[in-house]
Amino acid sequence: MSPTASALLLTAPAAVPLAVAGAYALAAPRTRTSAAAFAAALTEARQRVPAPGSVLVEEAPEPTNVPQRHWRDWAGLVSPAVVLACGSLLAREVVDGRPRRAYSGLLRADALTAWMLLVVGAVALIACGSAPAYLRGERDAVRASERTVWRYHVLVQAFLGAMCLAVVTANLGVLWVAIEATTIVTAFLVGHRRTRTSVEAAWKYVVICSAGIALAFLGTVLIYYAAREAGIAEAWALDWPTLVAHAGRLDPAVTRLGITLIILGFGAKAGLIPLHAWLPDAHSQAPAPVSALMSGVLLSVAFAAILRYRVIANAALGAGFTRVLLAGIALLTLALAAGLLLAQRDYKRMLAYSSMEHMSLIALAAAIGSPLALSAALLHIAGHGLAKSVAFCASGRILQLTGTARIGRVRGLIAQAPPLAGVFGLAVLALMAFPPFSLFASELGIARAGFAAGTGLSWVTAAALLLVLVAFAALTARTARMLLGPGTPVEESPSGLWPLALGLAAGAALGVATGPLTDLLHAAARAIGG
Amino acid sequence: MSTGLYTQLLDLACGAFLLAAVIVLWVRELTAIVRVFALQGISLAALAVLLGGHEHRWDLVGVGVGIGLLRAGVLPHLMRRALAVLTADRQRYGTAATETRETQPLINVAASLLTAALLTLLAYAVARPLTELHPTPATRALPVGLAVVLIGFFVLVTRRRALSQVVGFLLLDNGITATAFLATSGVPLIVELGVSFDVLLAVLVLQILTTRMREAFGTTDIDDLRELHD
Amino acid sequence: MSTAVGYTAVAGQIVVVGAGAPLLTGWMRQVRARLEGRAGAGVLQPWRDARKLLRKEPISPVGTGPAFRTAPALLVATTVVAAALVPLLSTDTPVSGHADLIVVVALIALGTLVLALAGLDTGTAFGGMGASREMTVAALVEPTILLSVFALSIPAGTTNIPAIVHGAVDEPARLASPAGLLATAALAVAVLAETGRIPVDNPSTHLELTMIHEAMVLEYAGPDLALVELGAQMRLTLLLGLLSSLFVPWGIATSPSWAALAVALVLFAAKLTLLGAVLAAAEVFWAKVRLFRVPELLAGSFLLALLAVTASYFLSGAS
Repeated sequence: MSPTASALLLTAPAAVPLAVAGAYALAAPRTRTSAAAFAAALTEARQRVPAPGSVLVEEAPEPTNVPQRHWRDWAGLVSPAVVLACGSLLAREVVDGRPRRAYSGLLRADALTAWMLLVVGAVALIACGSAPAYLRGERDAVRASERTVWRYHVLVQAFLGAMCLAVVTANLGVLWVAIEATTIVTAFLVGHRRTRTSVEAAWKYVVICSAGIALAFLGTVLIYYAAREAGIAEAWALDWPTLVAHAGRLDPAVTRLGITLIILGFGAKAGLIPLHAWLPDAHSQAPAPVSALMSGVLLSVAFAAILRYRVIANAALGAGFTRVLLAGIALLTLALAAGLLLAQRDYKRMLAYSSMEHMSLIALAAAIGSPLALSAALLHIAGHGLAKSVAFCASGRILQLTGTARIGRVRGLIAQAPPLAGVFGLAVLALMAFPPFSLFASELGIARAGFAAGTGLSWVTAAALLLVLVAFAALTARTARMLLGPGTPVEESPSGLWPLALGLAAGAALGVATGPLTDLLHAAARAIGG
Repeated sequence: MSTGLYTQLLDLACGAFLLAAVIVLWVRELTAIVRVFALQGISLAALAVLLGGHEHRWDLVGVGVGIGLLRAGVLPHLMRRALAVLTADRQRYGTAATETRETQPLINVAASLLTAALLTLLAYAVARPLTELHPTPATRALPVGLAVVLIGFFVLVTRRRALSQVVGFLLLDNGITATAFLATSGVPLIVELGVSFDVLLAVLVLQILTTRMREAFGTTDIDDLRELHD
Repeated sequence: MSTAVGYTAVAGQIVVVGAGAPLLTGWMRQVRARLEGRAGAGVLQPWRDARKLLRKEPISPVGTGPAFRTAPALLVATTVVAAALVPLLSTDTPVSGHADLIVVVALIALGTLVLALAGLDTGTAFGGMGASREMTVAALVEPTILLSVFALSIPAGTTNIPAIVHGAVDEPARLASPAGLLATAALAVAVLAETGRIPVDNPSTHLELTMIHEAMVLEYAGPDLALVELGAQMRLTLLLGLLSSLFVPWGIATSPSWAALAVALVLFAAKLTLLGAVLAAAEVFWAKVRLFRVPELLAGSFLLALLAVTASYFLSGAS
């Protein structure tokens, strides 16, 4: 493949979403002239004492042209399509093990990059595909003004661009900048309303994630220091392939400190202990498609950064250090998530804790480190992304339908809205690792790899499986309570559910056989040391 | 610049840097804390300029000046704007004084200062392998950077006012930047630009969220954020 | 010959501290009075007060024991011994070899301790209250003094105070390092606390809420009170002298010669006059810190001293 083609394929996933975000930003909503009236209505709405649990109503003068609104919402699907296309084209090229570079090594695609791009593209497709129906529901309930929708589109596209940049770059410093950028961009997506819960979730999210990411930056600085002292030139001291090649020369003590900080810092962004406290609040308060994106891919992209650093650490320190660290963190996170799932009363928080559970399984697989474990981890990333995004988008529709996020107040969904309930039920089944969904295959792979690795890891794997069983029980009980029972059918068009059905189908297909993606999966596992 | 004079000035800048972090733990008024933070930004810029001048790297001097402008000028200005919003709607004999003063941190001031002493010793112990890898006057001062990182984290965790948490986060970031300068004379320019931009945006976001917190909760006391829990 | 100069220096230190202390106190009160717009009682007033007290009948309260009776003498005695050891006029005296940092700090602490025990011995509420407050302050001040002088001893390699001062005279750059500056700040706050000046304690108050030192000595009268007052003034002079020897050491006689000794005497008087005036002027503008905030202030100065010690380990290249 020619260099220009490589450069184009590598730039497009990050540049196209940013360009779409810019286009959205320029096409600002036309209610500017009535800003004064809007502000007056807002102050008046604020002075009304809100009843507990209700949202602040923002009365905005409605523009009357309906078709244009829909066109704008659907325009957001361009980015996921481009990302998927670039991912597939790159996958074909890099599956033989030779990575593609661009801009003198700033952007680089190996098998892991292609796999992550495919995952990001697929999950973004599901989320952006179900966004129009979600936004229509929000507009109809007068919970979102044109300005809110406009800001949603700009920020979601920028979010996609930052995540793709984090995936395609080979420079560890740019990787850090991109992941920190995702925190800032999603701050106002998480805190998109001015209610107390929204502001609280946004504050905790920004503060905890920024502090954690700052620790990761300190770790990056220490690795850079070790690299410079090992004789690597300044321009290449943060370049991942160069560091992997020369990792044997890095000073062990400095690298140990750096890797600990990296795992703690990027682990904060991936929802692992000890800086995990933002995850349930942020994922339950954000709009459903945004939660889908955050839970489905952002956690995995942050963990992919850890996977890359793990290669360097294992070459410099031997496999034992990261194994112990990751296994310990995984087990603690799993214990916390399983325990808190037992007491959950809010279904969006339930899904958020389920994300923590799955991320800890991926961390456990990374700790085990054998080729089977790493392939299972990557498959788990894909399967979890698909299933979780479907679950969150469906839960968003349920919230709009029932008006409450409490599990206890939702009953008989199957009777009320059969297609929606079916989709939600199947998504939760996928999360509980039922066959034919791919999470079954990946969890089986992790268990087999864990029992095949020494005695210590076997015990850890056994404990992890026990905790997964606890989480299984909690999820079953709650979802069953929500779905089963009597209810009156609600007039509900299932047309908005096509992305969710597509996602479930993809998850099932992936679970039966990886098919054309088998080579890519194995190449990606090899790229991160399997 | 002779090595002796360079070492002395470097040590003075590092000492001022650490002292500013300690004083943030000591004073109560938020306006004073913001002023001390600005002074810390100046000492950080002086550190970078000294390193650049000693190694005759004018890009590093430029980066130092830029950092000084950002962390001693723009960021304190943003925080002062947030403070002004908090006190804008106070009545004539109002009690908005509680908003601009750290009245009762989670750990009282005396214990905080003693903890800061322990954190400095911890930073010194942790930084020994870093200094031993490449002993120069600059790397010998690495414990200062790590101590400010730990003190920043401590401020972030134990303070009650939203703006104190922002100051803690910025102390954390200042400490990491100082570590980067002392260890390797800075990270590559593109990364430094990205980091500065990210920090600026983060403070902007936090400032807007502080205003919203005041509107929604009526106070910027972090302990009142108790709506979301299990 | 050299030993004669040495012994003269020691005797001179004791005489200057003993006789000059009331003068210094009088000078500080006069400066403060003038700044506050009053005429003041004159520089010799503390001498006149001492003379008046000495003429009174010696009396002690019923129920007090040896702790109360011997405290004034012990206070003055420990201060005299410390004044002989600390290199105020010369670093080359016959007792220089014994002038270890820890010995001097222990002597000063002993003085504090005997007065606190005297306060307890009176059996009154004020005495006990003053003693407990004094011990709270001392618990944070003694480590601070130890650490800040220790920070200065690390570049010198020894805890012998005359050796530290001699080293500082030879290498003034040591004092401009972060360790030196932090140690100065910490020691200044510690001296203010140890001698009971504003902002830690008000030496001229007798309000129950605010007095620390005055509460312990409330029951003393006559010659005992004169000794106690003299002891407190001598401690102030000694500690200010220690501060000036450590941080402004130029002028101290480093060689056994009469001329150097004379110069040292004149310079010492000048330094203390200036330091006293600055302190008195500052006291006009400061307010006493509330009692429960005093530990904050002292913890801060302790932290500065600790930072000085750690900074002198890793910022000066020593390991």
